[in-house]
Amino acid sequence: MTLSIYELAVLSASILAIFLLGTTYIRTNLGFYSAQTMAIAAATMLAGSQREPHLYVIALIILLLKAVGIPVFLIWIADRIDAQTDAGTYLPAPLSMHLGILLLGASYILSSELPMMLGHGQGSSRIGATAAMSLLFSGILVMLTRRIAISQIIGFLMIENGIYLFALTQTHGMPMMVEMGILLDVLVGVMIAGLLLFRIKKSFEHIDASQLTQLKD
Amino acid sequence: MTEFFRWLVFLMFVVLAPPVSVGIIRKVKARLQNRIGASIFQPLFDLLKFYSKGETVSEVTSWIFRSSAGINFALVLIIALLVPWVQFKPHVASADIFLVIYLFAFMRMMTVLAALDAGSAFGGFGASREVTLALLIEPALVLCLASLGVVSRTSDLEQIFSFANLALSNQPGLWLLAGSGLFLTSLVELSRMPVDDPTTHLELTMVHEAMILENSGRNLLLVEYTHALKLLVLFGLSAQCFLHAIAPVWQLPAVLISAASGGAVLITLALVGVQEGLSVKLRWTRLPEFIAYAVTMALLSVLVAIAGRLGS
Repeated sequence: MTLSIYELAVLSASILAIFLLGTTYIRTNLGFYSAQTMAIAAATMLAGSQREPHLYVIALIILLLKAVGIPVFLIWIADRIDAQTDAGTYLPAPLSMHLGILLLGASYILSSELPMMLGHGQGSSRIGATAAMSLLFSGILVMLTRRIAISQIIGFLMIENGIYLFALTQTHGMPMMVEMGILLDVLVGVMIAGLLLFRIKKSFEHIDASQLTQLKD
Repeated sequence: MTEFFRWLVFLMFVVLAPPVSVGIIRKVKARLQNRIGASIFQPLFDLLKFYSKGETVSEVTSWIFRSSAGINFALVLIIALLVPWVQFKPHVASADIFLVIYLFAFMRMMTVLAALDAGSAFGGFGASREVTLALLIEPALVLCLASLGVVSRTSDLEQIFSFANLALSNQPGLWLLAGSGLFLTSLVELSRMPVDDPTTHLELTMVHEAMILENSGRNLLLVEYTHALKLLVLFGLSAQCFLHAIAPVWQLPAVLISAASGGAVLITLALVGVQEGLSVKLRWTRLPEFIAYAVTMALLSVLVAIAGRLGS
């Protein structure tokens, strides 16, 4: 099995997502998220050279907005609310990383069940689906196992990355306007979540999402 | 004649390179910290100094303590002969993966026995830590090498690492994962920086240095040399993996491969120096998280190997 550069870029995104699962330091997590988004931007650019040229623009926006902008913004927030590390995870970080590898294997098996939508290069489509589903699973794992709210945002962003990667590898790509709209939504979502973090920190003195289950007035 | 020449070069390398490679790591680290640092031959002079020094042996030790340094020295020579850590290594009959892995384990057992034999508290500390780490790190070492073996359909290390092997010739991803897994494993196995700081003055916190505290004089020479050669072999092995990973991109002529493999070892040693300059020693309770990354690399390379097996 030999892989093309496009497939390597796509797979390295999902492997970086698995590395993210193994550490609970917020800064390191955001670094891994940034690297993983850069790999996705590279994959988008390579897809652009094969298919639609408008993907170049999308790749540039992803690089600026998601790989640099959002991590910097979240690191700024983490410093402001003094959240260095995710203290209590439901599953030890090494175990959730190994679970992530198991899910990568599972998504490789699952991907053979998918109907191949993209005509050219059957193999590349399958690897793309594997990586996208693994990213999705890793994001869900982060959201399920981490406690503090900033990790929930990171998990949400990883799920978004997975869905984007699935669309990129399985279809001929969405129209440019739709892509832009999604990116804007993500940006606004992260901004609002960041502001909410400040509010939560201010009124509850902590950002542990597991203790935010009871309603108060 | 060429075979004789190979042996000659290899033997000279085995005798001189281990202390020098320790010296290279220290030099790179010193330069990163804005120090001039000792000459790269300093560990060699240290070994010569140990040779002329007198020896003190604790009265409570038995024959195990005296023999373990010699046994370890013999074992590491066998390992250096079996493991293809440079491409100009002379050919040997059978270098099975599992033989090599358990020779390493045998070495560890002898070191631990010697540490416990002297009956000092430091030896007990070090031995306990060493065995705990060994327990955590062994799956990574086994799985990295075994995944390479599965793809190449042989358990002979020399065939796996030969450039003539076509099954592994175009697998940069697998080589990279297995190589980084081996690299992280070696850092733990050799008690290098993120796991253990070999340069502090406090043996209480150390792993390897605490175990060899009772050795002195010529015994210490053997122990230090053994550790240096083990370092060279393990980092050399991961260097060969990295060389294989870039081989498809950078087509090497056959003549240059020997030289390139030596160069790869040098670069890996410099990398270790840089890594030691940048990282801090991890707290003991955080170590499983670091080791988990080595196991992750190994598991990923297993995944690639299985996928390749299913695909073909």
